[in-house]
Amino acid sequence: MKLANDSRFLLDPHRRDVPGRHRMRTYPAGEEVDLVVVGAGAGGTTLAQRLARRGWRIVMLEAGPFWDPDEDWVSDEAGSHRLYWTEPRIIGGGDPVELGKNNSGRGVGGSMVHYAGYCPRFHPSDFLVRTEDDVAADWPISYDELKPHYEELEAELPVAGQHWPWGDPHRYPHRPHPITGGAEAAWRGARELGIEFRVGPVGIANGQFGNRPHCIYRGFCLQGCKVGAKASPLVTHLPDALAHGVEVRADAMATQVEVDARGRATGVTYFRDGAESFQRAAAVAVAGYSIESPRLLLHSVSSRFPHGLGNGNDLVGRGVMVQGAPQVAGRFPDTMRMYKAPPPEISSEEFYETDPGRGFARGFSIQTVSPLPIAWAEHVLADGHWGQALREYMRDYNHWYVLGALCELLPRAENRVTLADATDRTGMPIARMDYTQCDNDRANIAYARQKMTDILHAAGAQDVLTIDRYAHLVGGCPMGTSPENSVVDADHRVWETPNVFVTDGSVMPTQGSANPALTIMALASRLASRLGGR
Amino acid sequence: MVHAFSDADHLPNRRPDGQPASPERLPRQRRGVTPQMHGRYPDFDAMSQQEHWDDATRTMVVSRVDQVPPIRFFTKDEAIALGILLDLALAQDREPRVPVLALVDAKLLEGKLDGFQHDDMPPDPETWRQVAAGLDATAVQHGFEAFRVAPTGVQEQIVGAFAAGELHGRVWDELPCAKAWGVVMRGALSEFYSHPWAWNEIGFGGPAYPRGYAVLGPGGREPWEGEGALDVDPVTDVRERGLE
Ligand SMILES: Cc1cc2nc3c(=O)[nH]c(=O)nc-3n(C[C@H](O)[C@H](O)[C@H](O)COP(=O)(O)OP(=O)(O)OC[C@H]3O[C@@H](n4cnc5c(N)ncnc54)[C@H](O)[C@@H]3O)c2cc1C
Ligand code: SF4
Repeated sequence: MKLANDSRFLLDPHRRDVPGRHRMRTYPAGEEVDLVVVGAGAGGTTLAQRLARRGWRIVMLEAGPFWDPDEDWVSDEAGSHRLYWTEPRIIGGGDPVELGKNNSGRGVGGSMVHYAGYCPRFHPSDFLVRTEDDVAADWPISYDELKPHYEELEAELPVAGQHWPWGDPHRYPHRPHPITGGAEAAWRGARELGIEFRVGPVGIANGQFGNRPHCIYRGFCLQGCKVGAKASPLVTHLPDALAHGVEVRADAMATQVEVDARGRATGVTYFRDGAESFQRAAAVAVAGYSIESPRLLLHSVSSRFPHGLGNGNDLVGRGVMVQGAPQVAGRFPDTMRMYKAPPPEISSEEFYETDPGRGFARGFSIQTVSPLPIAWAEHVLADGHWGQALREYMRDYNHWYVLGALCELLPRAENRVTLADATDRTGMPIARMDYTQCDNDRANIAYARQKMTDILHAAGAQDVLTIDRYAHLVGGCPMGTSPENSVVDADHRVWETPNVFVTDGSVMPTQGSANPALTIMALASRLASRLGGR
Repeated sequence: MVHAFSDADHLPNRRPDGQPASPERLPRQRRGVTPQMHGRYPDFDAMSQQEHWDDATRTMVVSRVDQVPPIRFFTKDEAIALGILLDLALAQDREPRVPVLALVDAKLLEGKLDGFQHDDMPPDPETWRQVAAGLDATAVQHGFEAFRVAPTGVQEQIVGAFAAGELHGRVWDELPCAKAWGVVMRGALSEFYSHPWAWNEIGFGGPAYPRGYAVLGPGGREPWEGEGALDVDPVTDVRERGLE
C-alpha cells in the first residue's frame, strides 16, 4: 500500500527538532482559513496532516510549546513535569480521578509525547456493546469502517508486535521487540494458568524507518522519547503536515469558538503572549482531549447557544471515562531492573470480551507497566508503606516487575466535565471532573487485580504489592445517532453547529480495554477521508 | 556463590512483625552518596556516569544535587514541623539527607502544581501549610506545646496516625487527613526519588540517553551498573569466608 505520509523522511537524521518548523507557512491575521484545529495531539495532528494533503488550508492552535526534544526533554522522571497538563483542575465524585501526569499532555504532539506506546486496535465487539452486552451504547460506526485506517496508521507509526490472535486477528508491519526478564517471568506464570500473552503491540519502530533512529531500550518512554523511536504525532504526522502548508501556532490557548447569528462557527478566539486574537475559519475542529474539549465547548456561550456549543441537550462533558488500571507488582529472586526497555512489553487480551461466568459485562486487558523510581514509590506508598518499610521496598526496586490491567469502565451520564468557579490565567473557568464507578466497574477491577496476582504468584513471585489507579481518558463529547443521545454525529459534526467537528478521544462512546491513541488517530483518518478534497 | 538478595526475607510483608529488616545490616556506601549511606549497591554511583548523559539532562540533574535552594515558601515554624514529618515519613534519621523540604519549598514557590485538586481540599501549597498547623494542633492534644518539642516517640505516633488517615480535631476537621497525606507524600517522594543519592541506594541506572541499555535479561547488568551487596552481615561474612 502506498502511504501518503512522508514524515519519516522529512525528519533530520541527526537532530530531533522538527525540520519544517522554522520555514512553515504562516497565514496573515484576518485571513479566513479552511480549518482551524484546536490541539496538536493525536486526533488534531492526524486530521490536519490528512486534510492538508487534500488541499485544505489549516491553522492549528496548540496551548503548549513547540518542542525541540534535544533541548526541551530530559532523560529524567521529575524533570519531565512540563510535558503534562498541570494547570489547575478540580476533581470530585465518589472515585475522583487524579489528573496531570497520569493522563493528559500539553504541547505539540499532545499526550502521545509521553504515552507509553501501546497501540492495540479495538475489538469488533467494542462497537456493539448495547446490542451484544446490553450496556452503554453502540457506536454509530463499525469496526470495518475503521479497519483500513488502523492498517494505514499501523504502517505509519509503525507498530511492532507478534501476530495478534485477539479481536480481528491481524499482523503488524514491524517484528516484535526483545523483552526483559520481568516480562519473561510474568509470561511464564501466565502460561502455567493457561493464559496467553503476545509481544507488543507498540508504536516503536523495530528496524529501519526513514530517518527515525532505532529504540535504545532506555525506558523513558513516558518522559518523551528523545531518540525519536517512539511514535507521537510530532514525528509521525506533523512533519508531513508542515510540508503541506499547515501552520502550527504554539503557546496559543483557544478560549472560545465564535458563532454568527445563523449559528455557524466563524473561527476561534485564542490567548497568546498575554493577548487575545481571533482566527477566522470556514470550519473548526476541536481536538483538546476529553477534558479540554468539553471545557472549550461549554465556555463557547453565545446568545444563540447560551449553554455552550453543542450543549442544547445538556450532554457536553457527560460520559467522560477512564479505564480502571490496577497494578500488581511481583518480587523475584533475580534482578529484573524494570527501568530498562520500553514499559510496554507484552499484553494479553484473553479477558477482553464479556464472559457471563465472571459476573460482569465486558472485560479487561493485561499489560506491563515498569514504573521508574518515583512511580514505583507511589506504588509502594499506595500499598500502605512509609518510613523504613517504604525505603526497604524501594531498595528492592531491581527485583520487581509490574503488571497493569486496563478495565473497561462503563460510561455514565453523571460522570462529567463541567466548568468550576475558579478561572485560569486567561480568565477562562477551569474544568471540573466528577467520577464515580458503578458496580460493574468495581467487579471488573477486582477480578483483574486477582488475575494479575495469580499470574505473578504462578511466576514464582515472593511478595506482591498492589495499587489501584486509573489510566487514559476518553468520552465527554460522544458520537451517536441523534442529538438526543450524542454531541456529534458519525462524521464528528456537532449536531447543532455542523461546521464544528470534535476530532479527539472525547468522541468515543465507549472505551474498550484497549489503549486509545491508535483508535483516536484512526477516527481522525477516517473523518479526513469522508471530508475529502477542498 | 551466595546470591545477593535472592530471598525476600528483608521485606516487611514477609516478616512476622511486618517490620522491614534494619538498614544497619547493609554495608556502608563506598562510592558516591546514598541517603544515610546505606549500601545496598555499595559501589554504584549514578553521578559518576554523567559524561554519558545528554547536556539538557546533565544540567538539570547536576543542579539538583549542587544547588540546594534556601527555604523561602514556608515560615520558620512550618519548616521545622514539616522537616520532622518528612524525616520520619522517609526514614531519614541521620545525615547525609536528601534535602527534601528545600526541594519541595522551591517547587511550591515556583507554583509548580500537579494538575489536579480534590474538590474538598485547598490548593496544594495551602495544604502543606495546613498540615504544619495540624501537626502542632495534634501535638497539643497530646499535651505538648508544638509538634517540634514532642518526644520522638510521640512524633512517630502522630505521623503513623497521619499515614493511617486518623488525625481528628481542629485543623483536621476541615482538612481531609488521608488526602493531605497523599499530597505531602506525592510531593516528598517525587523530590526524594528524583535525587541521584536515592538512585544509588536503589541501584537505578539514572539518565540513559544517549547510551541506552543492552542487557535486558533476568539477573543481567550493564558493565557500569551496580552489583547488589550480599544479604549477609559483612563483618561475619568476611570472617566466615576467611577473607580477612
Ligand atoms: C502516562 C500516559 C501513558 C499513556 N499510554 C498510552 C498508551 O500506551 N497507548 C495509548 O494508546 N494511549 C496512551 N495514553 C493516552 C494517549 O496519549 C491519549 O489517549 C491520546 O494522546 C489522546 O489524544 P487526543 O487527540 O484526544 O488528545 P491529546 O493528544 O492530548 O491532544 C490534545 C492537545 O490539545 C491541546 N489543547 C487542549 N486544550 C486546548 C486549547 N483550549 N487550546 C489549544 N490547545 C489545547 C493540548 O495541549 C494537547 O496538546 C497515555 C497517556 C498517558 C498520560
Ligand atoms: S525505550 Fe525506546 S521508545 Fe522508549 S523512550 Fe527509549 S528509545 Fe524511545
